[in-house]
Amino acid sequence: MSDRSHLISTGKPFQFDAERDAMFERLVVRYPTRESMILPSLWLVQEQEGWVSQEAIAYIADRIGTFASKVFEAATFYTMYHLRPMGRYHICICRTLSCWLRGKQEIVDYLRGELGLAPGEISEDGRFSLEEVECLGHCGTAPVVQINGEFYENMDVDKLKSLLATLV
Amino acid sequence: MADKITLFVNGVEVEVESGKNLIDAVAAAGIEIPHLCYHPALGADGNCRMCLVGIEDGRPPLVPACKTPAQAGMKVLLDAAHIKKIQHDVMEFELINHPIDCPICDQAGECKLQDYYMTYHGQPSRMTVPQVQKDKKLDFGCGVVHDQERCVTCGRCVRFCRQITKTGELGIVNRSDQARVTIFPGRPLNNRYALNVVDLCPVGAMTSRDFRFQQRVWFLKKSPGICHGCSKGCNIVIDHHREKYADDRIYRFRPRHNPQVNGYFICDEGRLSYKRENEGRLTAARLGGQPVALADALAACHDELQRTEKVVVLLSPNLSLEQMLAAREWAARHGATLSGYSDGYLKPGDGDGYLIQDDKSANRAGLLLLGIDCRRETFLAALAEAELLINCDNELERSIPAEELQPLLKGTRTILATSHDSPSASTAEIAVPVASFSEYDGAVVNCDGILQYFRKAVGKNEPLPDMADFIAALDGTAADRAGLFTALAALIPALAGQSADTVPAQGLKLNENEAAHVSA
Repeated sequence: MSDRSHLISTGKPFQFDAERDAMFERLVVRYPTRESMILPSLWLVQEQEGWVSQEAIAYIADRIGTFASKVFEAATFYTMYHLRPMGRYHICICRTLSCWLRGKQEIVDYLRGELGLAPGEISEDGRFSLEEVECLGHCGTAPVVQINGEFYENMDVDKLKSLLATLV
Repeated sequence: MADKITLFVNGVEVEVESGKNLIDAVAAAGIEIPHLCYHPALGADGNCRMCLVGIEDGRPPLVPACKTPAQAGMKVLLDAAHIKKIQHDVMEFELINHPIDCPICDQAGECKLQDYYMTYHGQPSRMTVPQVQKDKKLDFGCGVVHDQERCVTCGRCVRFCRQITKTGELGIVNRSDQARVTIFPGRPLNNRYALNVVDLCPVGAMTSRDFRFQQRVWFLKKSPGICHGCSKGCNIVIDHHREKYADDRIYRFRPRHNPQVNGYFICDEGRLSYKRENEGRLTAARLGGQPVALADALAACHDELQRTEKVVVLLSPNLSLEQMLAAREWAARHGATLSGYSDGYLKPGDGDGYLIQDDKSANRAGLLLLGIDCRRETFLAALAEAELLINCDNELERSIPAEELQPLLKGTRTILATSHDSPSASTAEIAVPVASFSEYDGAVVNCDGILQYFRKAVGKNEPLPDMADFIAALDGTAADRAGLFTALAALIPALAGQSADTVPAQGLKLNENEAAHVSA
């Protein structure tokens, strides 16, 4: 995984819109403690904005009544939370054992070399963004690449090349 | 005392206290189980895996000692080959991304990672890939500077901020080898105990801006002491050192464990109060504002006493019991009025119910114990009549603003015996320098009625007289310290049969009615 600890500030205060605000209040009563709302709230932010900013994390922490550091921990731990605006196609490559053994590094090196796309970055044209993630649960068909939530199994550089060509 | 139980470590029978985890239980018997994340004040976290031991009773082959309560008859394995292998391997993991910057690291010499490397690993690195790079010298606020690369992510600092101060500024972000301790942007450390994370950190990741690069720790002499910053009387270690051709100097205060008083921690204000021991000191006697030899100043005091009748002796609430008693005896002999008026040392609302107290003096309870009048009215009445004020290090301007004080002191001559230079030391007719609390032996009573005895820590090149010496010198004699302690023991039942050497390290809890007994 890349370093996700440098949050991006929008410079504007964050707030849930009316729909998410209502959703937050509906969800919060389901849990025994308000801290349980950290992960659902991060999802709500991501639904609303597409990514999670520094201000959004502070907003969630204050709304829940917990430490900002705790929300910060959860948001940086789980790679499914995007801490920066994503490309049109968000590529996740599994970096856990099976995928590593079955050649995920060749795919990462290819993306870095051909597209100039390093993990944690977005391509200049905004078409692709890349993240190395922990186990995606497809170890039997490693290496696995996930693009905008779709899984592509038994990947190699050639398969990825032709796949990327179809994504515009 | 807790019950004793018997268990076996490496087949050897050991008697330990029950109700403790294995690390603490066998540590009391002198057996070390290595650990990084466990700290008795923060509880077991079980994340570092350094304390894995074997227990031969059919449970899983390895258990973390920090989470295993000591039980009678337990057979603990520490020196088996597979345990040693685990310790060796955990160390290797810890060191994969640890920078080898010990020569410039402040922690070197008191670093757990360094010690454990020497004890449990001692091998060169096998890594051929570049190390993970992280952020260095991050300013976390409150004088804490963090180096993410040195961190072993034991989480002690994070748990301290969540469990003890309940301010939660720190968190461990990211995961795997990218995990690091950080603050949320714009919400830095903001609590009055923050510098404790520097002590808690087993490695050199957390450093104090104040102590960074000031001194190698192996040069520091570690003397026990009592913090005089407030009436809690937190136990401290006074780390001091005499550089070649220089004077003995204090480099830092660190907390010293005392379950009865401060536990494992001290506040930042108290920790940084060491500076006051080094700086701003009065080192030479003054006569009419001009520096003179100590003997000349004492002779002048003597003359002054010859020609005055009405004397008020004002005591600082920071003096030790012995010094207070010496003053009380002197005042009784000379018919002087004795006062401990020091309302200015109180800072109402500043205490926090944990360690920090409203009362910013170390021994007000001692004044009360010796029945010394601390009321404003009696002090002002006595001062109005007095010809001479002997001020024993009481910072009177804290209690009475300077412009109000001036007219009150008109017509009264002042002898000021003080450890610190101040405007009063220049305006007093005679000013005599005395030792500060790190430079003498004495007893103080804290806000909870616990009497603690502390020893001289710092030996200055030119030692200043103890306040008791100064008081004795007024009569041209020397202080009888043993006699003072005996006199104290006669007054305070809890001290009966004790000597300075036998007062327990954790302090003596005085009875409720002892204060009444002494003043009667």
